[in-house]
Parts: sequence; structure tokens; C-alpha cells
Amino acid sequence: MNTMRMRSVAVVAGLALLAACERPPVDHAQLGYRGVGMEEITNPRLYAASVAANKVPEAPPPADPGPPGAWQNVQVLTDISAGEFTRTMNNVSEWIVPDSWVDPKDINRANKCAYCHNLANMASDEKYTKVVARRMYQMTRDINANYTSHVQQTGVTCYTCHRGNAVPQNIWFYTDQNQPYRYFVDRPDVRVQSASFVPSNDNRSSIKQTEYTYSVMLHMSNGLGVNCTFCHNSRQWSDWSQSTPQRMTALRGARMTRDLNTNYLVPLQSTWPKERLGPHGDGAKLLCATCHNGVNKPLYGAAMAKDYPALYPGGMGSATTPMPVDSAAGGAVAAPADAPAAGGAAVAPTVPRTRAAPAAPGAVAPRTATPTAPGAVPPNQQGVGAMGGQGQSGKNLPSDPTPVPQNLQKP
Amino acid sequence: MIEYQNLFTRVQVRTTTEDWGVPIEDDTWRKESGIDTKSGLSYLLGKIGDYQIGPIHLGATGVASLFFGILAINIMGINYLADVHWNLIQFVRQLPWLSLDPPAPKYGLSLAPLRQGGWWQIAGLFLTISILLWWVRIYRRARAQGLGTHLPWAFASAIWLYLVLGFIRPVLMGSFAEAVPFGIFSHLDWTAAFSIRYGNLFYNPFHMLSIAFLYGSALLFAMHGGTILATTRMGAEREIEQITDRGTGAERGALFWRWTMGFNATMESIHRWAWWFAVLCTLTGGIGILLTGTAVDNWYLWGQKHGLVPQYPDVWTGTDRGTVDEQKGQLQQSPPDSFPGLPGVKAGQLRTPEGTVKTPIGSRKALDANAPALRKPYGGQP
Repeated sequence: MNTMRMRSVAVVAGLALLAACERPPVDHAQLGYRGVGMEEITNPRLYAASVAANKVPEAPPPADPGPPGAWQNVQVLTDISAGEFTRTMNNVSEWIVPDSWVDPKDINRANKCAYCHNLANMASDEKYTKVVARRMYQMTRDINANYTSHVQQTGVTCYTCHRGNAVPQNIWFYTDQNQPYRYFVDRPDVRVQSASFVPSNDNRSSIKQTEYTYSVMLHMSNGLGVNCTFCHNSRQWSDWSQSTPQRMTALRGARMTRDLNTNYLVPLQSTWPKERLGPHGDGAKLLCATCHNGVNKPLYGAAMAKDYPALYPGGMGSATTPMPVDSAAGGAVAAPADAPAAGGAAVAPTVPRTRAAPAAPGAVAPRTATPTAPGAVPPNQQGVGAMGGQGQSGKNLPSDPTPVPQNLQKP
Repeated sequence: MIEYQNLFTRVQVRTTTEDWGVPIEDDTWRKESGIDTKSGLSYLLGKIGDYQIGPIHLGATGVASLFFGILAINIMGINYLADVHWNLIQFVRQLPWLSLDPPAPKYGLSLAPLRQGGWWQIAGLFLTISILLWWVRIYRRARAQGLGTHLPWAFASAIWLYLVLGFIRPVLMGSFAEAVPFGIFSHLDWTAAFSIRYGNLFYNPFHMLSIAFLYGSALLFAMHGGTILATTRMGAEREIEQITDRGTGAERGALFWRWTMGFNATMESIHRWAWWFAVLCTLTGGIGILLTGTAVDNWYLWGQKHGLVPQYPDVWTGTDRGTVDEQKGQLQQSPPDSFPGLPGVKAGQLRTPEGTVKTPIGSRKALDANAPALRKPYGGQP
């Protein structure tokens, strides 16, 4: 009797220990040379669920070619046909505006156009969402034209990040907890390992900074749904000769993210209303998970963008146009550092957009646009991580509709 | 079914007087032993150990040690509570993640503001006082019993590692930020970050030794415990007689090991094995930590130089891993979160997005003066 009781206690305790484990099956694929332990661990069951959650919406039939419409106050989508313009507007409203959204001005109707437009005057910029959307078109075109080193020919669409949400699910604001993500804006880099084994002043990186690096790397791992060894040989993280080619793709992506935050997201801070800002008054910013959503190739590599010419400068090759400048954002717009040299055809920010502008895509001001003020002072300058007084209570976290990044959850 | 006879103590010897072995000069401990007063007996404790509880001899050092220890733990706990805005439920829920961290690197070795690491310094000081007083206490108790001082010295080995981690190495590095935080997961994160920063501690030979002694200790413990339990059915736990008599359970245990591996430790020397393995675990570990960052900055590269690192074929040759220029990055070393330069080392330079900034070594002030330039945001904000 006694042993029976002890046995059942042991069984229950054993099961309790397993409670936090992932239910099998577990699959693995060898990535590196045999014996170095570089393997990708996957669970077919979770993988199937993730594939189902990352389906691309069906593309509507292409619009007829034709001249651009005679719309007013159109600044970006000037190089596509009127039909394509309408098609794009429809697509974007489906991708961005949630089905549950109701026009607060007219609660009986949920015309998704009204999310950005004043229906009485479609040209009006009075709604901030329209200004933000314009900037997002520019960003998407910039990515698809100038960051093919990261997005390849697959490209990105609004849906890559938004997935039917007005605010993409995986974004971040300045908080004590999010300090490490400043790598995606204003911290120079994440390297901490020395290139020599002799201690010297060449590397004064601290343990605290290493923890930042660790956090950024874990974000990448979770945001892409991969293990560390997808990119690195963990015996020496910094060694490129032992890294996989994916590491360079990731680095290019990280640099792209930094450029996008710097040139597109951060300048929108003054455009967003207060309720869209984070606890320190800063706007939402990107990181890897924003597009990737837990998958190493967003939407499992589906080439979605090719069906939407509006998301490419010049409407996908028919004509090239320079990136316009959003003067409403108040800041000079800088092209990404990696943008190809524009053959001397750099366009001054005040030059009005014309379809005839002969500049290469992405050729705008060089990256010299530096801020005059650092903007919202990140809490880092006030204290240290969890000791800054904000702790982990969750009280410092922004409330809906701008949730703190959920990027640590797999889909 | 098989009954595990030796998982619990089967026989509880309860007696007031017993022949306790050879007479010793100072007999005072007998009066204090509590046997005659029966100072508390527990049947349940008797299942896993001795049935007698107490008497506890705290003494002045014991009381002082407990005082400082409780104070230190309270400082940690109250800081945790403050971190969750005095919410007890969150305190319990988030306890594994809560942490009292050392000061930021910018404070170097100076006293930091209380909520910026000052509490860590105070808690660390009190905890150290408590541990050292406890060492004095067990040393004096051992001497009072006429015992050898093996236990205090083994404890001292653990204290050595503790001091290296929390005090000696941070002082050599010029920054308390190098020390370990007080927290359940945070101290584990620290070990991971420490190994990453210093190029993989697995290639640190003293770390290797420490691990060998750690696992060796577990192995020896299992071998010894198993041997003794397996021979208790012949009374082998009564080691004194077993050592001297022939044909005993102990001798069978010894023969078992000679049969299986050709050699056996004796009933006496096995305890030296165990003691040295345990002591050397923290002793070598402390040396390994002490050399990290002070003598060696990247253990993998150190291991490479000394032939410790096997090379494997590059299976990604020909793939796009970028140009060398593209692979270049900056070290995450800009103030205020980097730590000060090494004293006595030639002036180094800090690389920033804007270019290179010369930094006089050892001068916190000069570093701070440069800090705004180094902190300049990478991109723009309106």
C-alpha cells in the first residue's frame, strides 16, 4: 500500500516535471559539418500550425494598364495606373484595417477607406493614418528596391508585417526591458568578443553589454523561429569562417532594420497621436519579428510582392522614380547607407516628384542627415536594466492598442 | 518486488549513554551534546539522518553571521519587491526573474546610488561578512571538538570562488559591473554572458579542471555512497571495525572495486579523494575566473594558439557570406555601459559610428567627457 502511494507520487511528480516540455515529435536537420552540433530542431506538428498561420491572401486579378489617375495630393503612387491604384487601396485596407474596426464618426458603417481617408475629401491629409500610410508606401518601395540583399526578389508587402492589424503585432518601444532593442536604432553594434586573446583597450565591452547582445540574438532566434546554430557555430560566435551564409543575411537584415527605424519609423513620432506612442513618448519601431513573425522566411518565402506593382518604385520597373521626402515628418530623409550610389543624381529633398525624374531608385540624400536632438531619452541613461525602478511589474508597459512586442511567442 | 532497503535509515539507535570510543582530554562537549537532556527527538528526521535535533551552538559569530546574512537577503528581497511596485503576487510570480544587479560599468569601483547598484554593494558586503563569520564559527566549533579543520578549509575553497566572482576579479577589472547579480535566472544569464564575452569559457583550462572535479565529485560520491549502502547489510557503515577486521562488508566492497577496475581506495582514503575533488572544484574554478578578462580576453583564441581547437572543413565555401568589409562590425563598447580602460595600459581608442575617439586610460572623467559623442544616436530623430 505504502509503495503504491509512493509510486503514484513518483509518477505524478515525473509528469509535472514534463509539463513545460514541448510535446513530440521532434525533427532535426544537420546544418554544419558532422560532429559540431549545428542542427535545426523542428516540431512537425508546430510547423504545420505555423504554416497554416502564415498563408498568403489570394491576390486579386491584376488591374488593366493605363495612365495614372487624376487624383489629388497623391505623392507616392503616381506611377501606377488608375486601376492599379484602386486595386492597391482595396488591398491595403484589407491588409491593415481590422475587420472589427468601426468608424467612430459613423458607427453604423465600417467603410475601411475611412480608416485613413476623410470620405468627404479623399485628398485630405487630416487623418494621421493617411500620412503614416504614405510613409509606409515609401518604406515598402525602398525595401523592395534597395534591400534585395536581404529580401531578395521575394520582396515585402504591407501584409508581411500587418497581417490584418492596424499596428503590426511585433513592434517595440523604449522601456527598460527593451533596452537591448536599441541596437535596431541607435546603438552602434552588438559585437562583444575580442579579436585577440590578450586583454587590451581595444575591447571594453562589458558583461552588461553582452547581455544586450544576448537579448538581441535571442530576439532574432525567436523572431525567426530558428536555433542559434542556424547562423553560428556556438563555439565562437564571432567567427565568420565558421558561420553559415544565413548569418550574413541576418546581418544585412539587422542593418536594414536600423535604417528603416532611423529613416521611417522614428521620424513618424511626431505624426502619431499620443495613444499610439510608447511609455516614453516614442513611436513604434521595427525589429526582426515585425516581418518574420516567427518564421525564418516571412510567409514561408511566398513571393507575394510580385502581385502588387504599387509596392515597387515606378510600379515595378515601368518607370523609376526617386523616393519622395515627407516634409510632414519634420526630418530630412536619408537613404539607407547600403543604397547604391546614385550616379551623381542625388535629388535634393525639396525637388518635387515627377515621373520623368531619371534618378536610380533609392537615390536621395546620403546618410548624412543627422538629428539635432536625440529625441526621447531612452531610460538607459537614467539607470540600469531592472534597477531603473520600473522593474518587471508590467506597469510600465504600454496599454492596448500598442502592445509590447509579442515576438517571444511562436505563432 | 525489490525493496530498497537502504534509502531510509532502518534502525534508529536511541540511547542515553554509549561507549563513544577513545577517551579525550577535554570532555566538555559531552555535557553540551544534549544526549543526556534529550534536547528534542524527531522520528521523521531519524528516517533520513540522526533522530536528535540540537543543541545548536550559535555563539557570537553565529549570531552575527545570521544577522548579516538575513539582512543581506532582506535587502535583496525588498529590492525585488520595489521592482514589482510592492505587489506581493507579482513578487511570487516573477521571483525567478527578479534580480538585484551590480552597479552599471560607469560607476567603476565607486559607491553607486542605492537603486543603481548601491543596494547590491551593501547586500554583497553584508553577505560577505556573514559568510566569513560563518567560516570563523565552523573553524572554532571544529577546534572546540578537537576535530581537524578539513571542513573550514573546504568551505574556504568555496568562499574563494565567491570572492573571486564578486570582489577580487571586479576590482582587478576596475568595475563592479563585472560581478554576479543576486537573482535566480539573472545569475545564470550572467554565466552565459560571461562565457560569450570572454570567447567561450569551455576553452579555459581551469574551467576544464573545475568541471572535471565537479563531475568527478559526483562520480566519487555515487561510488562511495553506493559502496557503503551496498555493504551495510554486513554492517560496513561501522567503518572503524571494518577497516581493521578481516572478511567484513568493507573488505567485500574493496574487493568489488578491485574486481571491476583493478584498484580501490581504502575506507579512509576515499574520503581524501572526495575532499580534494570537492575542494579543487572551486579552487580551480576561482583561478579560471580570475584569469578571465585579466590575463585572457578570448579563451577560444587562446585555445587556438595552444592547439586546443580542432578545425573542421568549411562546408559553406562558395556561399555568400558577404565581403570582409561587410562582415566588419563595431564592438559594443561605448560608454556609459562599457567599463573603464585597464590601468597601466597604453591609451586605446573607442570606435564609434562617427569615427575614432581617443580615450585616456583609467580616467573615468575623460571617458565621460567623450560619452556624449560616443552616445550620439546612430540615426536621426525629429
